[in-house]
Amino acid sequence: MRKILIYAILALLMINTTGCKKWLDLKPQDGIVKEEFWKTKEQVKAAVTGIYSSMMENASGTYGQPTYVPSLAELLFVWGEGRADNIATATFTSRDDNDLTTVNIQQTNVNANWRPFYRTINFCNTLIEKAPEVLTNDNTFTQAQLDQYLSEAKAIRALMYFYLVRTFGDVPLKLDATLSDENIQPIAKATQADVLAQIVKDLTEAEAKAVTTYGDVASDKGRVTVYTVNAILADVYLWMDKYAECVAACDKVINSQRFGLIRGATINPPVYEYNDDWFNTLYFNGNSSEGIFELQYDDQRLNPFYNLFAINNRRWTASADIMDRVFTVDFTNDANYDIRGDGGSVRAATSTIWKYIGTTKVNSRAPDQSYAHWFFYRYADILLMKAEALNELGQGQPALDLIYTVRTRANALEATDLTPSPADKNTIQDFILLERSREFCFEGKRWFDVLRNAKRNNYQRLSILLNMVSISVPSNMQQSAQTKMQDHNCHYLPVYLYELQTNKLLVQNPFYK
Amino acid sequence: MKRNLFALSGLILMLTTVLLVESCKKQAIVEATTEDVNIVGYLDKRADSFSLFRQILERTETSAFLNAYGAYTCFAVTNSGVRTYLQKLNVATVEAADVNVLKDMVRLHLLEDTLYTGSFTDGKMPVITMFGQFLITSVANKSGVSSYVVNRQADITESNIRVGNGIIHVINNVLTPATKTIAEQLAAKPEYSIFVQALQETGYYTQLNTVSASLADRWKTVIAESNQALADSGITSYAQLKARYSQTGNPALATDSLHMYVAYHVTEGLKFLGDIIGTATHETWLPQEVFSIKLIDQDVVINQDEFNGVLELGVKISRVKSDNAATNGVWHDAGAHFMVKYRKPTALYWDVSSFTEIMKLPAYYKRANYNFTRPTEADNPIKDHYWGWGPLAGTNTLSYLYSSASSITNYAYNSDVNMLPMGLPNRPIWWEMKTPPIIKGRYKVWVCYRQQKQSSSSNMLCQVEVNGTLMQRTMNFTETRPAGTDAELEAIGWKRYTENTSNLWAARQVGVIDFSTTKQQTIRITPLVGTQNNNNLDMIHFIPVDENQVLPRFKPDGTKLYL
Repeated sequence: MRKILIYAILALLMINTTGCKKWLDLKPQDGIVKEEFWKTKEQVKAAVTGIYSSMMENASGTYGQPTYVPSLAELLFVWGEGRADNIATATFTSRDDNDLTTVNIQQTNVNANWRPFYRTINFCNTLIEKAPEVLTNDNTFTQAQLDQYLSEAKAIRALMYFYLVRTFGDVPLKLDATLSDENIQPIAKATQADVLAQIVKDLTEAEAKAVTTYGDVASDKGRVTVYTVNAILADVYLWMDKYAECVAACDKVINSQRFGLIRGATINPPVYEYNDDWFNTLYFNGNSSEGIFELQYDDQRLNPFYNLFAINNRRWTASADIMDRVFTVDFTNDANYDIRGDGGSVRAATSTIWKYIGTTKVNSRAPDQSYAHWFFYRYADILLMKAEALNELGQGQPALDLIYTVRTRANALEATDLTPSPADKNTIQDFILLERSREFCFEGKRWFDVLRNAKRNNYQRLSILLNMVSISVPSNMQQSAQTKMQDHNCHYLPVYLYELQTNKLLVQNPFYK
Repeated sequence: MKRNLFALSGLILMLTTVLLVESCKKQAIVEATTEDVNIVGYLDKRADSFSLFRQILERTETSAFLNAYGAYTCFAVTNSGVRTYLQKLNVATVEAADVNVLKDMVRLHLLEDTLYTGSFTDGKMPVITMFGQFLITSVANKSGVSSYVVNRQADITESNIRVGNGIIHVINNVLTPATKTIAEQLAAKPEYSIFVQALQETGYYTQLNTVSASLADRWKTVIAESNQALADSGITSYAQLKARYSQTGNPALATDSLHMYVAYHVTEGLKFLGDIIGTATHETWLPQEVFSIKLIDQDVVINQDEFNGVLELGVKISRVKSDNAATNGVWHDAGAHFMVKYRKPTALYWDVSSFTEIMKLPAYYKRANYNFTRPTEADNPIKDHYWGWGPLAGTNTLSYLYSSASSITNYAYNSDVNMLPMGLPNRPIWWEMKTPPIIKGRYKVWVCYRQQKQSSSSNMLCQVEVNGTLMQRTMNFTETRPAGTDAELEAIGWKRYTENTSNLWAARQVGVIDFSTTKQQTIRITPLVGTQNNNNLDMIHFIPVDENQVLPRFKPDGTKLYL
């Protein structure tokens, strides 16, 4: 009896111990852990792809709720256009979006949530920190390849910080990877100047190692090439008022001869001839010879814009007077129009933001066709950035030549031609700003363009910003909004409440008291 | 066994004592549903900043309800602000101050609603204070820092502090209520002496010097003219003003033009500049006369209007000198002299298909058809044309039809018409339009259309309302013009308004309307019987009753024909 009992217990023990083996093992069975990652070059490549993919993440939560986290692409649009004069709110606009347009943003506003940007930054940081380890693990992984991957990560990190620094002013500068909860620690804000210095450092390093081509068009437009780096650098230098450096960076792109403007219109009155494929090539298909860096949405990864702009429950529309004010209309000759206006950037009859919604001038995309690319940079931007820098350097005539190149391509109407003399710096500034408003309408650049020009030379031209606000803000708040804009801290968004609560070293922007 | 029993009973005893001791301990039951403090609690927590304001609340017996359930907005004054206030009252401590003054003061700092800074405008707050005066908000920039200013008296230093029973905004000065009426405030300013004398002579001074007990009719808004503004128009003394306007010699008479001049400068309601621009026209104390308000760039401009294609320039209201709150209203400063304009009723031959939205599309306006769709009920593609949502979504399309070849539009004025499907059960249930400004007077209303039947059995009987008044006759989009001479037709309420003589082009006189004010009027067409798509509206004529109703006729090229 006793023996049987002992044997039984022994047998049970054996069963138990063998059974235990699996659950003593802490590794997940359906994933891969850090210790097993960063072993092969394929894994590094996957991590690089992950960086790009992270920029196309979807929003989380329900729109209009306090827990909503907008997607990165949505924030690119909202930060760049929400406070500017080309857009208007619509039927389904949330309170938070509305408050942004009326200069009433508070620290609880979901549009102040920078999480998507820091998530991508962390992906970059992780790659920069861990990829070099792979050299020792995988003999087929070369230093040259590593350098190229690092250049991509650094360029994207710089680009993300560039958006943050323009939107928030001072931001925490986090350059090491957060690999687990142990790495989480409070971190204070770095000054704008420090962040910009780091951005330039990253970009300069990236420029030295970046490739000129990957051998296929989609990668050349969707991944970081040396021209992407130059384009970002040009923009950064322009923001930092370093004009000679900006011109040099633009020239590198221009002299590569790999880019050009897609022909829009050829006008020889009385013959007005428009390129019917212009919209299709540049915006509907994307990756044209004009594109420098575009977010590669496709039918497997749709962009969020259909929900933002499509007519049924749109959150944003074009401002009602955009045709009159920005593009103008030739009432005497309907064959004479700016190709970027009705049917290009906007559908005037319904005030729809058309760039991301249209298939042609009049037909709109189906919901499953919503894969218009987001343009970070395209060739027209390089030309106009160079023009802006040249003008600041006192070279008015070459600047004007560049502006007219861009205008002629699209048949900008005469009513919008300010005809400045080459010596008239201020009018050329205005001219470039207005031309950029037409050329990059709804491409998330307007607010940054206005702020860059307003803040130049210690806010010498703050009036540009004030005038814009008087257009974009409802009339009963106009005066308040203008006076708020006289406070320079108001040009930057508040730190999101959640970040303030979790990171005790963060200090709120003093305007949002 | 016995020992066991002892042991057992000992154990039981021990257990019970333990239990007893346990039950003696008072259980801490959480009674509050939240640990958030209320307004008073918050002030207590920050006694270093708010101890004096807290004392005032105690003294005025307001702290009790501010510590209870509710939804309030409280402007909490910092200690330094209260000290300045006490100095102004010439007292050393809160205890020494007059409690009634303090009570009024505190009530001006409290609103019975929760208002975040997001709802602040350039004008008054949406909710009145417990004291019974509105607070106004603005933003001021002091050495590069912008902050909200309340009542032009205090800056908000911390905003939107959410507490259990409302919201606290911290301000650095005590808000004091206005103590003078509009009339008194103006009288105290020598630069308005002529206007004030006009107020006195016309008898309006007393009206503007009283504060009505009821909130319903307490508030008035006055647009005052300074001596300088009058001098710019050549009036340097009251005598000259009287000489210019007072044709009866007695300004107290309602029929006297000077009386009218003053009445035209007063409107009912509390309208700060931030509020006044919200409405296009404002009725004045001069019966049936309005002034219009436009925001042009940043200027608030009074009476800038276009009549029959002529733009009349208006008068700017000075932003700096305006928004003066008084106990019974607010007064503004007009940049120049203005007076009501008397206009003779003039016919409006309104081409409904020349609205701004289509004119902005040069590829379509007077060139091709264009559909204005309303994808949802909330959309409104055309500002001045609107219609009741048709249950069948696809019918909510207003078509701009243009063609010089199509028989539907070839003889229409400018060869274009507006077409809107109408009629229950599926199509839009009414069609409403805002006319260009029409001068007050008595008019006959003519609806001019191109008859069309969607199918041979279609019917489209409609009633017409102008400014909500039902017109005497109905009209029918499927009915052709009867035969007869112009005179015969006019007698039965028809006319031919086109050059073409086909009876498909019909104008139906739906009735006579009295417009009591000069403004944009509203006309609404409501289907009564039948339903169809092809309701082709070309023009609407408003012709003064004493003018020729039949001529002019209209040609497709846009010209008028007087035969």
